[in-house]
Amino acid sequence: MNFGRRAFLQFAAGAVGGSLLSPLPWQLAGDSARWSQNWSWRASPERGEVTKVSSVCTMCEGGCAIQARLVNGNRAILIEGNPANPLTEGGVCALAASGLQFFYAPYRISKPMKQQKSRGDISGFQPISWDEALSELGKKLGKLRADGKSQELAAIISHRPSSMDDLWLQFFTAYGSPNLFRMPSAADGLKLAAKFTTGNAQPFAFALGNAEYILSFGSNLFEGAGASTVALAAMRQWTKGATKLVQVESRCSMTASKADQFLPVNPGKEALLAMGIAHVMVSSGTYDVDFVKNNVFGFEDWTDSAGKKRQGFKGLVSSSAYSPEEVAKATGLDAAQIREVAKEFAGKPKALAVWAIGQPDSTNGIYHQLAFTALNALKGNLKPNGLITLSPSVPLAGLPPVEKNGAAQKEPQGGLYGLLDSITTAKNQPVEILFVHEANPLYSLPENKLFRDALAKVPMLVSFSSYMDETAAQADLILPNHTAFERYDDVLGIPGAAFSYYAVSVPILKPLQDTKHTGEALMTLAAGIGGTVGASLPWKSYEEYLKFRVDGLAQAQKGAVAEKPDVRIVKLAAGQSVQPNFSNGADLWKKLKAGNCWYDAPAAMPDFETPSGKLELAIQSIVQKVASDAADKYYLPHFEDRNLPGNEGDLPLLLVAYRPSFTAAGFYPTPPFMTKLIPDSVLKGADAFIELHPDTAAKLEFSQGELVSLKTTQGEANVRVNISAVAHPGVVYLPTGLGHEAYDNYVQNKGVNANSLMEVQLDPVGIGTVWACRAQLRRV
Amino acid sequence: MKQEKSSSSGSKALGVVFFLLGFVGALVVGWVVFPNLLYSQKAQPINFSHVAHQSEDCDSCHFLRPDGTYGGIPKLDRCKECHESAQGSSEAETKFISEYVEQNREVPWKIYTWQPDNVYFSHAPHKGQGLECTRCHRDVSKEEKLPPYRENRLDGYSISTMKMVECEKCHAEKGASNNCEMCHK
Amino acid sequence: MVIDLDRCTGCGACSAACQAENNISFRLDESNKLRSITWMSIFQLNNGRNYPDYRYAFLPRPCMHCDSPHHSPCTFVCPVNATTRDENNGIVTHIYPRCIGCRYCMVACPYHARDFNWWDHTWPKPMEAMLSPDVSTRMRGVVEKCTFCHQRMLAARSKAYKDGTDPDKTTYTPACADACPARAITFGNLRDPHSDVAKLSKDPNAFRILEKLHTDPKVYYISTQDWIKKLSDNALTEKS
Repeated sequence: MNFGRRAFLQFAAGAVGGSLLSPLPWQLAGDSARWSQNWSWRASPERGEVTKVSSVCTMCEGGCAIQARLVNGNRAILIEGNPANPLTEGGVCALAASGLQFFYAPYRISKPMKQQKSRGDISGFQPISWDEALSELGKKLGKLRADGKSQELAAIISHRPSSMDDLWLQFFTAYGSPNLFRMPSAADGLKLAAKFTTGNAQPFAFALGNAEYILSFGSNLFEGAGASTVALAAMRQWTKGATKLVQVESRCSMTASKADQFLPVNPGKEALLAMGIAHVMVSSGTYDVDFVKNNVFGFEDWTDSAGKKRQGFKGLVSSSAYSPEEVAKATGLDAAQIREVAKEFAGKPKALAVWAIGQPDSTNGIYHQLAFTALNALKGNLKPNGLITLSPSVPLAGLPPVEKNGAAQKEPQGGLYGLLDSITTAKNQPVEILFVHEANPLYSLPENKLFRDALAKVPMLVSFSSYMDETAAQADLILPNHTAFERYDDVLGIPGAAFSYYAVSVPILKPLQDTKHTGEALMTLAAGIGGTVGASLPWKSYEEYLKFRVDGLAQAQKGAVAEKPDVRIVKLAAGQSVQPNFSNGADLWKKLKAGNCWYDAPAAMPDFETPSGKLELAIQSIVQKVASDAADKYYLPHFEDRNLPGNEGDLPLLLVAYRPSFTAAGFYPTPPFMTKLIPDSVLKGADAFIELHPDTAAKLEFSQGELVSLKTTQGEANVRVNISAVAHPGVVYLPTGLGHEAYDNYVQNKGVNANSLMEVQLDPVGIGTVWACRAQLRRV
Repeated sequence: MKQEKSSSSGSKALGVVFFLLGFVGALVVGWVVFPNLLYSQKAQPINFSHVAHQSEDCDSCHFLRPDGTYGGIPKLDRCKECHESAQGSSEAETKFISEYVEQNREVPWKIYTWQPDNVYFSHAPHKGQGLECTRCHRDVSKEEKLPPYRENRLDGYSISTMKMVECEKCHAEKGASNNCEMCHK
Repeated sequence: MVIDLDRCTGCGACSAACQAENNISFRLDESNKLRSITWMSIFQLNNGRNYPDYRYAFLPRPCMHCDSPHHSPCTFVCPVNATTRDENNGIVTHIYPRCIGCRYCMVACPYHARDFNWWDHTWPKPMEAMLSPDVSTRMRGVVEKCTFCHQRMLAARSKAYKDGTDPDKTTYTPACADACPARAITFGNLRDPHSDVAKLSKDPNAFRILEKLHTDPKVYYISTQDWIKKLSDNALTEKS
């Protein structure tokens, strides 16, 4: 038969009709639509049971209570706040919100690493086992100590207060080295000022929540991700329209924008304004006469221990140099403005002058700190129940006593900068082994060249970092710590807070990699060295150590655990009664492990332990730091103008580093979630922007976005110009938190590191001052 | 030409035959061949018998968690509560214990009523709202062994994966919202 | 939602929390803000004055979930109905498999609240572990935007069904409101006169952005600073 075209067409017609009545075409249409919607390369996160673990964030000093959300108990998908916490009420900063980007960072170090090639060569890091690493290091430490060179061990640790500080101190004391240093922080200045004026070695603390008029001298109260948790909590307690915030600084910062009044002073002249206000208060008699008469030494002229008559603070501040007219000239304000502020400050019953809150790495010179202290003294804020107290201690169990041997008795001079200086200038090698823990000095130390130079003369650098940061990249041995959220840790008080605070951080998951808690590494090293060193750290795990400490807190029966956010913690008054709500150590440990914080009311200002027994405005103990024939003013708070190094002709501008909103400027780099938020007027591609006043830019003939070269005594870097009225004329503002050269591509190659360009002036009494340095801008 | 004339009625009949051939053939292909080709048959990793577990309540393994999410197929820990050691003598149990319990490995069950990523079905609004499990799932109370898992080769769905139109129909009948975001996110 | 701009310090916690909660991806170089995906964008405002009277502020902007009336500009123009508004809770959602990527909705949105996926999402390998299974991951070619964390709403509703309470009366908070360390963001049911959010929306200093477009946005802002209100184009501008 001839089955022609027609037959075929009829067959085809039938087939079409049949298939239309069958599921085939409809199924295929649906299937292809569904197939098109399920792209295989799209991430498909595993589903499962969601559980929550409460803990505390230890990435900065803020102590925010957090909750981690876990899926199937084996991976974390979110870090959020714990609403039960009375201080943070469920809030977290951008760094904690991005916290898992550090937990799961691709630049984590997964096991101990030993540098087999030359220092700084990343390819030279070879993994070794913990046993090998710790026994090798332990042998070196043992030998150093046996040779009587204990002091050649040094360590740089984080300035975040935790029980690790005490563990480090215990180890170093037992080992016999005094060279334990913390990264610089604003608290250093508060501590020194408190030591000089009150004789107590605890930093000043401010009852921000109870003040009605806050005169803030350059404090970064509300600067974006660096804002202080205490300041934010206080802000919520302030009455809109009644509480007044006055911000004194050179830049129209976020805090200045939020303030009720902004006093734009020339950079570095904040303390001069404080002296000017003091002048007005003294000359008009509007200071706390009773307090000054009965409790202050050195207001009137005084006689020093050698019998010499010296000028008192009253005489000094009353001089015409501190008159509103003179102060106005130097600060750039109006004399009338200064008088007005002085009147308000003196007149408001709960007025408080604050400084050094929320400025992580920069301090002002000691005399600046004393000027602010003096202003508060005149106001009567340093009374037992005043708005200024000392940072309270948390009554945790003290560590077992250790005998200090000879070398450890000597207090290191000059802080961390002093150490770096002595390493660089010494003919021999004062430091053989340098430990770095929870710190990244090669990046975040202002004038980090000092660290780099000193490092060249240190034979062995041991980093405990969990990440391949700038410092770890230069290490000879890396003993990676567990990351935050993976380890037992604690928050031992919050710097600047008047109230007492303690919280325990529990791991949200078992450690992901072959890392070890640095505390436990120290315990192993101590046990290896044996003898009194081994006996000084008798715990087998960091959890055991923390439990031991918490036992002491339970026994002290002070303070209470907050299981609800119903305590207005920033409004607690000094000496207010707080009823303990925990029984023994086990009970307290259980409550703390559940993510609850412990708190107590501020401690009343203790008795003054100064030579005079009073609050000293004439600092008698300062004679040890300055020459005994120094002029009278060096004993008193006064305005010490800084003579900035560098040729003013060559470097006519001033460079000030500032903390922009969306960067992280401490141990942790800016994570990708935050980098995304940095405006393109701060960072664009690889270029950071400096802020320049329109007049300054016009004078230099720079246009918006232009690439220019920024030069200081420390070096040069290319930056782009952002013309903004936020800037004080003649001052160049450079953002911090940028310019990393380690980690990974998401972090690197973005901007320039302000710490590499800034220069530090060492205070005569030993703290580094970083407020500005001379700079030059020119076209490229 | 004569042949053609005389075969016009015959060719019509032949045409109908071809039409019918195609029609029936397509129906067969569409209804029988195609589904068998389209869906592959896969065996479950372990031959679980619901009948052997009749003494348990459905809820003891398939329950709503306190936070409102559904537990789904129980995890190894639940099975281990009884099967840490052999409870019977079946081959399936022996295999289960040696390959999963002892190795602490979750069983990679193939979920019959699996939904793709973009669908977020919540059991809480359905279970206990007067809906029986069997309204959407097969009746397992008489099942001695798990049926084969039939997976669509084209789009990866299971043959029992409920299509959106069925959800919409019931939602419309019960007065529940048919807004996209109820099930998709 | 009510955002108190007096409290907002521009820290970015809201945006970071949103990114973590909603599986939002990021690129190596985020300088081109037109291509950045930020469901919660943070705008920087300033009063335009010269030093030292210059002041600046930050304004966090999620999707406004407009309703103008019974539709929002974006849902009105979607050719495939991928973005719809739920009349019961007012949330405008976007269904990624249905979206064809025409970006008409992006053109329509006056708040620039929508972002387009020009590229497939990629994460550094270890960070894939932190992806939430509760939020769909997206592929290139679709638009995405803030959903008021409506996955949290569905979770709250499921829990209500389990507990036997009325699911329509459940409350929840989105990731941004949870995270804000200044506690500037309040979230809740605007229709419930007893809720914090309803009371705050009646604050004399409360305003909405681009009020004159009559999009009826669900996000109110509070500010005691006139210059911030003036920048937001609301009735105050017309009066003054």
